[in-house]
Amino acid sequence: MNCEQLREHYELFALGIAEEPERGEIREHLGQGCAVCGAGVKRALETAALLGASAPKAQPSPQLRRRILASVGSEQRGLGLAWVTALAMAALLAIAVYFGIGNRRYAADLARMRVELRDQAGVIFRLTEAFAILSGPSTTEASFGGQQPRPPQGKVFVNPSRGVLLIASNLPRTPADKIYEMWLIPKGAKPVPAGLFQSQDDGSAMHVRPGTVDIASTAAVAVTVENEAGADQPTTTPLIVAALARATP
Amino acid sequence: MILPLILALYGDPQEWELIARLQRRDPQALAEVYDLYGRLAYALVLRVVRDKAIAEDLVQETFLRVWNRAGSLDAQKGALGPWVLAIARNRAIDYLRSTEGRGRSSAVELDETEHASLYREMENGILVSDQVRRVKAAMEKLAPNQRTVVELAYFEGLSQPEMSAKMGQPLGTIKTWVRTALQSLRDELGVAVPSS
Repeated sequence: MNCEQLREHYELFALGIAEEPERGEIREHLGQGCAVCGAGVKRALETAALLGASAPKAQPSPQLRRRILASVGSEQRGLGLAWVTALAMAALLAIAVYFGIGNRRYAADLARMRVELRDQAGVIFRLTEAFAILSGPSTTEASFGGQQPRPPQGKVFVNPSRGVLLIASNLPRTPADKIYEMWLIPKGAKPVPAGLFQSQDDGSAMHVRPGTVDIASTAAVAVTVENEAGADQPTTTPLIVAALARATP
Repeated sequence: MILPLILALYGDPQEWELIARLQRRDPQALAEVYDLYGRLAYALVLRVVRDKAIAEDLVQETFLRVWNRAGSLDAQKGALGPWVLAIARNRAIDYLRSTEGRGRSSAVELDETEHASLYREMENGILVSDQVRRVKAAMEKLAPNQRTVVELAYFEGLSQPEMSAKMGQPLGTIKTWVRTALQSLRDELGVAVPSS
């Protein structure tokens, strides 16, 4: 088919409901770098975006922003058996697909599993970031909490190109409206927020702040308890202070 | 909310920088993208799934996908807003299709509309309020059956045969309504599809 024959199908393609053979033809034209179809589909996608933006206004809950940032490593809620759960969910998903999802009961189960699987995807992403920091050749580490009878104890690992990983135990449970906040404390400057996280029921926690870190100008990594929305500057005495001056490369 | 949206979208180099920061995996950049498009994405997803809790889950999945796929966007020519909305809509339609037992092959079609290359050199200011008002006005001008098929296609992801079954109308009639509606929208929005 030529572009003229396909032009009335650009919008259907943009909406994901184009039928064969037009859908395959448009895909083929795009794959070959067809300028006419490329421009036509782009304009159709613009119209689709405008239709999306015309949906009735609605306000998500304030917690959603925090959840999203947590899912990319700015907050950590605990690991547990994340890998095992994720594999189990994937297996259940495969079984459900194998036996068919034609009836509503299977479909509802599948939808529930998809939501659970999505949650696990965030955990797996954070684990990947943590492993990258741990395995980096330029990673340095510092311990904290070794001098008191039952303090939070643990280590921080800092990689100049990948970020900061904090692993802690013996953390007290925070009140319902509070959360832990990690800070990077530069030498002679104000602390810089490095993400929110919660501990698990057993007092352990792992938190990753991805991104670059200037180790030479960073004096310490600290953790305070803050209101659940987080704070721009610490408002309580740090529960954890890991000095990087004694960090070992 | 509207002013920052307009400032951020009108061919703004700040948006290019935002994409570049996303590609450097700066979590603060994702927070800024959420502040720009999170409300729009949520409103769209909620319109599709009509359940607040599920909508929030799907918006979370949307931004996780934005984070993981930002590397495929062109930092200087990509259009972040339309891309985010396409991902959000696709997640919502995919969810709807899975709960209704509709075919998974459809999900593949949806993914085709998320390719970052399709959002290269797209007009950055497309989502400004004037344009949105124009599309709303254009939708209101459509005949009721034409408006219905556009909404079924966009907000429910129904194919034309599925619309035919749902509306109890012959497939040929549905195709005529869809074709006429899209042509009217094209005319009203001044979207001139180039000819070969």
